[in-house]
Amino acid sequence: MRASKLNELQSQLHSQGITFAYCGCITENILTGIGSALKNKLESEDVDTRTTRSIFAVFVEQMQNIIRYSARQASTEDKRPMKESQGHSRYGILTIGQVGDDFIIHSGNLIVAADVPGIRARLTDLQNKSPEELKIAYKSQLRNLQELEEGAGVGFMEIARRTSRPIEFEFEEVDDEHTFFAIKATI
Amino acid sequence: MDALEIPATTRTPQVSFDFPAHRLRLVGESYPEDVTRFYHPLFDALDAYLQDSPPHCRFDFELIYFNSSSAKAIMLLMDKLDQAALRGCQVDVYWFHDPEDDTMEELGVDFGEDLRAVNFRLERMVV
Repeated sequence: MRASKLNELQSQLHSQGITFAYCGCITENILTGIGSALKNKLESEDVDTRTTRSIFAVFVEQMQNIIRYSARQASTEDKRPMKESQGHSRYGILTIGQVGDDFIIHSGNLIVAADVPGIRARLTDLQNKSPEELKIAYKSQLRNLQELEEGAGVGFMEIARRTSRPIEFEFEEVDDEHTFFAIKATI
Repeated sequence: MDALEIPATTRTPQVSFDFPAHRLRLVGESYPEDVTRFYHPLFDALDAYLQDSPPHCRFDFELIYFNSSSAKAIMLLMDKLDQAALRGCQVDVYWFHDPEDDTMEELGVDFGEDLRAVNFRLERMVV
């Protein structure tokens, strides 16, 4: 057993202000479970209602984005895009921390490289929108959806509406076909 | 038409569509695992009810939180109510929001301002 390694990992997380971390397979059931734990944790702390709800809302959207758009299945090294693979089992990382008065939610997961330009364009567009423009875009995006289950576009907008600063994001190329996508929301 | 009652779960709101009394309510939180599977029966029931041209109807949204996929479903429910109102039904929609959560209030305003014939009211939730 490597207590020192584990302790070091925990210390690293603490030193970054991270109070909540999950890394592994992400499914709808896991979202439900972690979501309940997160809610209990926030309610037990002295965090105001609006902040609590915003943290939870951003958490849900980030987890669902990972479930819908990850390139890799958790149980195998299968890197086929979601449409080609079975089920909704995806791998990712999500952390929640506090720096000063800000709550920070980070998440990261592997995506198909071909999805990078689209995601970059959407997030860059959101970064440049005022709250008023964001409201209008949110509604027109909803109007444009044909089906109920569709569109990380609205998910990103939901995150943007709930955050106090523009969403930050970064891509790190893993190989020709895959990219690690990281997103940071500040509340 | 019989009432449609569905108890709340962790991720889905309580549905209380009391069609005989013309009182419909959605209460709680909405971030279903499968938004289509949850909302389609609601759409079907509402469509069937509104097709019978009820003289009046009141719909209360008492939601604490909903995710982005549920937002589309809520918009569709409101569209159906607005269509009925345009056909002559007197429709009142009440949007209850937690006074401490202004995002939910803003969303209510956003949805409400698109309604053409519904009498839309924003109310503070008693929490």
